[in-house]
Amino acid sequence: MNNEAQVSEKFTKYDAELTTRPKIVIGMGLRGFFNLIKFDNKSGWNLALVFLIYLWSMVFFVLMASDNNSYPCEEIGNDFKYCQPIAYYGDMGLGGIRLFLVTLAAIASGGLIANDMNDKSLHLYLSRPISRLDYLIARFIPIFLLLIFVTVLPNLIIFITQWSNSGLEFDWIKNHKWLIFDIILQGLFYSASYSIIGLTFSTLINREYRAAGAFFLFVYGTTLIAEIFHLFVNDDRVLLLSIAHLLDIVSFKIFGADYYFTSAFELKGIELTNVEIFGALTLIIGGCGIFVNWMISQMEANK
Amino acid sequence: MSKGFDVIEAKNVIKKYGTVTALDDFSVEIPKGKIGILGPNGAGKSTFVKIALGLITANSGNITVLGENLDKNSVDIRRKIGYMPEHDCIPNHMTGVEFLIEMGLVSGMDTQSATQRTHEILGHLQMGEEKYRKIEEYSGGMRQKIKLAQGLIHGPEIIFLDEPTSGLDPKARSEMLDTINGLTEVSKTNVLLSTHILQDVEKVCDYVIIVNNGKLQMKENVKELMKRQSDFIQVRVGGGTDEFVSILKNKSITVMSDGRSLRVPYINDNTFQQIIDAAVDSKCQLYEMERSKVTMDNIYLEVVE
Repeated sequence: MNNEAQVSEKFTKYDAELTTRPKIVIGMGLRGFFNLIKFDNKSGWNLALVFLIYLWSMVFFVLMASDNNSYPCEEIGNDFKYCQPIAYYGDMGLGGIRLFLVTLAAIASGGLIANDMNDKSLHLYLSRPISRLDYLIARFIPIFLLLIFVTVLPNLIIFITQWSNSGLEFDWIKNHKWLIFDIILQGLFYSASYSIIGLTFSTLINREYRAAGAFFLFVYGTTLIAEIFHLFVNDDRVLLLSIAHLLDIVSFKIFGADYYFTSAFELKGIELTNVEIFGALTLIIGGCGIFVNWMISQMEANK
Repeated sequence: MSKGFDVIEAKNVIKKYGTVTALDDFSVEIPKGKIGILGPNGAGKSTFVKIALGLITANSGNITVLGENLDKNSVDIRRKIGYMPEHDCIPNHMTGVEFLIEMGLVSGMDTQSATQRTHEILGHLQMGEEKYRKIEEYSGGMRQKIKLAQGLIHGPEIIFLDEPTSGLDPKARSEMLDTINGLTEVSKTNVLLSTHILQDVEKVCDYVIIVNNGKLQMKENVKELMKRQSDFIQVRVGGGTDEFVSILKNKSITVMSDGRSLRVPYINDNTFQQIIDAAVDSKCQLYEMERSKVTMDNIYLEVVE
């Protein structure tokens, strides 16, 4: 009885020292990230894909890139510049790292919001001292960190490989600060874009595996359709309807290279203005953000 | 606190969903303690709770919770509020302990406090080893208890309970009400209980608010209300009702009319004879006499209708 009375008194006088909203959000995000990479049946696929990506990166960079003396960029023909960091994502057309990256983004992001919507725990999260935007950021952090882990870090191997080829001279690093900056920017860009699109599908289709499938089909399906359509209409703006092409176009811009792609077994350049490219990007990514926010606000109101 | 006493104060709150008005110039002052919100479906109870929780905003009017104006601070105020939704909303893949710790962390607690508090609450809920089992293995009653516990994990000043006994069998319902009473009593938490089960209000609440058509219909102390629960005789007569009433009045018996019939307070069995005598004296036809009781159900129906 005495013990019970003591516990009750402590319970009665409980005065929680609650932390700030940013710390709650970062904490949620980090816990989400560790859930994505922990050793269990569900996250095993994520880890397997991460392993494959690193393996592929090693093969790609160590065996292929290290032999290339004109690295990191070289002119191919009169029109196009070939850069290893941007080729990294499209090394085998639609295969290679991008295939793993999109698969990983689809699988890992599929359940982030979908599971909360499905078991309705979203309502509990939104009744806590965090706003809707805080919640979205907390769900964005895990997938964003995971994708950075497989974009920025492996691609930095390119930098180290080239530095190694140049004899590990410190001057080389000073002269190639642009390269490290572009690699990081490119990785952040791909990671953020795929994360936002992944969360959109996770919200739109509140079943984890269906959301992952829809994300995957959306990326590759729109690419296939845009390329076929492009053959007939021969208008480069059609490519902006493909997420993969759109992200690659921006990625080439980051490295100051003109975009080219393979169509009907030949290299083709594109003629698009910055307004068209960044307009399409803003429309798609902004649209995704607004849509997710709207969907969650609807759930919030219909509790 | 604005007044030092009311935990929620709503003034002229209007909330519309398209053409439907959920709250219509709704004003109420909710004192500290355990308050029940009663009302039929679509009365505006959930809308009021959602606005008080800062999840949706009113079209107009002003609402303060624990002295904080929700227009200015609708998110941070939730540090002081707990919420137990009506529907099932707990992730099945977690254990009871993992879930409560996660809810504590999302409320802003550090890991150590959240863990400690989780075990304290689960101790009060008398959950032994079950707390380490996956929630998917829990019974309906245990799931409700976990839902209640997550609302109290961060030590809120007030907890909103939305239909906490919904879908429970009588035994589990009674246990749940005891748990609510016990936990909120020991943690000194104010309660706002939204329900349409009157017995829940009787068992848990100090005050009751009845809402209908988006308007406050009644606010009453439950104890005062219970005093109004009394025996009476429902009488249906034909002919000169006025004279019948007058004769009873002369015998110091107050008669109330509820429209279709008359209510005569039951004092003892002799009251029946006095009614018969009054009917004979006033030459009324006595159609029906039935001993009945004013319950919260009657009061609720009267207010709502």
